[in-house]
Amino acid sequence: MDLTQGFRARSGVVGPVAGLESLNFSDEFRHLVTTMPPETTGGSFTALLEMPVTQAMELLHFPDSSSSQARTVTSGDISPTTLHPFGALTFPSNSLLLDRAARFSVIATEQNGNFSGETANSLPSNPGANLDRVKAEPAETDSMVENQNQSYSSGKRKEREKKVKSSTKKNKSSVESDKLPYVHVRARRGQATDNHSLAERARREKINARMKLLQELVPGCDKIQGTALVLDEIINHVQTLQRQVEMLSMRLAAVNPRIDFNLDSILASEVSIN
Amino acid sequence: MNTYNMVKQRFIKKWINTLHMLDSSIEHPLNVTERKNAIRLSSDLAIAAARSGSTVWSRALISRSGNKTTNKPMARRILKKARNRMKNRCRTLRRNGNFTAKVGVRKRTELLKSLVPGGELIDDKDYLIRETLDYIVYLRAQVDVMRTVAAVDLVTGNLTNDRRNK
Repeated sequence: MDLTQGFRARSGVVGPVAGLESLNFSDEFRHLVTTMPPETTGGSFTALLEMPVTQAMELLHFPDSSSSQARTVTSGDISPTTLHPFGALTFPSNSLLLDRAARFSVIATEQNGNFSGETANSLPSNPGANLDRVKAEPAETDSMVENQNQSYSSGKRKEREKKVKSSTKKNKSSVESDKLPYVHVRARRGQATDNHSLAERARREKINARMKLLQELVPGCDKIQGTALVLDEIINHVQTLQRQVEMLSMRLAAVNPRIDFNLDSILASEVSIN
Repeated sequence: MNTYNMVKQRFIKKWINTLHMLDSSIEHPLNVTERKNAIRLSSDLAIAAARSGSTVWSRALISRSGNKTTNKPMARRILKKARNRMKNRCRTLRRNGNFTAKVGVRKRTELLKSLVPGGELIDDKDYLIRETLDYIVYLRAQVDVMRTVAAVDLVTGNLTNDRRNK
């Protein structure tokens, strides 16, 4: 069919050739679109607006196009060209940030059997470079909770450098983990050197570092100062994402009569994601 | 190494499986709402299975979805695998209440706990934030894949319509 040929031509568009091919393609499309409306007055969405077909094509290459757009768009900006036919909000899917977050979000517990124990965290200090890892303080706080006698010894442990678990072996649940340097926790001048306040300071630093990462992940969050507002943004983001999932599943359900319809579509989209 | 793409791929594979399983064990015909619930359920199970690790949110999501599908043997199969992992790994969660939270932050953390599945069980703010971060990544993957699938569906739907009309 003409349409499929148009699609193939579009998918072959790369770089400098884009101008010529898109020109031919849009001519073909205009021809097709003008002949379509009388046939599909029943209610095909593409007949209502001329654009959505080309934009649906954009969406076929969604991950590539949006990631390239996100690089040119500052964070917190909603890229205007990813206009979805149903007007859904699209976040700048900065693949670099999401990679960092994906790496960060791996919680590897394979060192010991203790789930709450040594969890490997990674905090990005600069984009794409070494990831600093904070010591598994949980192990020490666990021991603190269990028997109070050991609280002082664990505090002394914190005064020294915190060792890092360099888990180079990959586990099934951990997607990736790099070798990480030490994170020093030092008492600055004029600050209390209590065991407890040291522990608290370390925890606060960890929380702040993670909040910074969350700020980067949630769009539009880096300009805000203060924990409460950042949490607001995060809550907003999670709610929006959940609502989007709800709406998308409603749309998928409305389109087809059966629920395993989209196996081919999923496989097709899997190809495009690569 | 593009890890977000890997996340999406894992989600896609699991989603295909769960959709297939769910579809073979549900009686047709279904109305739109039931279909939507089935799709939502399958995709939630898929992201939780794709995470398949030791996060609280994935396990909570799996057990929450387990209550929705009652006597379906397929769903039980999915849940059984996840529950075994839970038994091996779930010890006591970290409990450390030695921090003072301001009022606004406390209210918001309560709200966040209600949003993230399994968040109510987490006392430590630090751990809650880590869970939220993980959950956000997988939610994003879910949304991205579902949007792409819906777009592809739109296009192929038009194609088949045109073929039928012509």
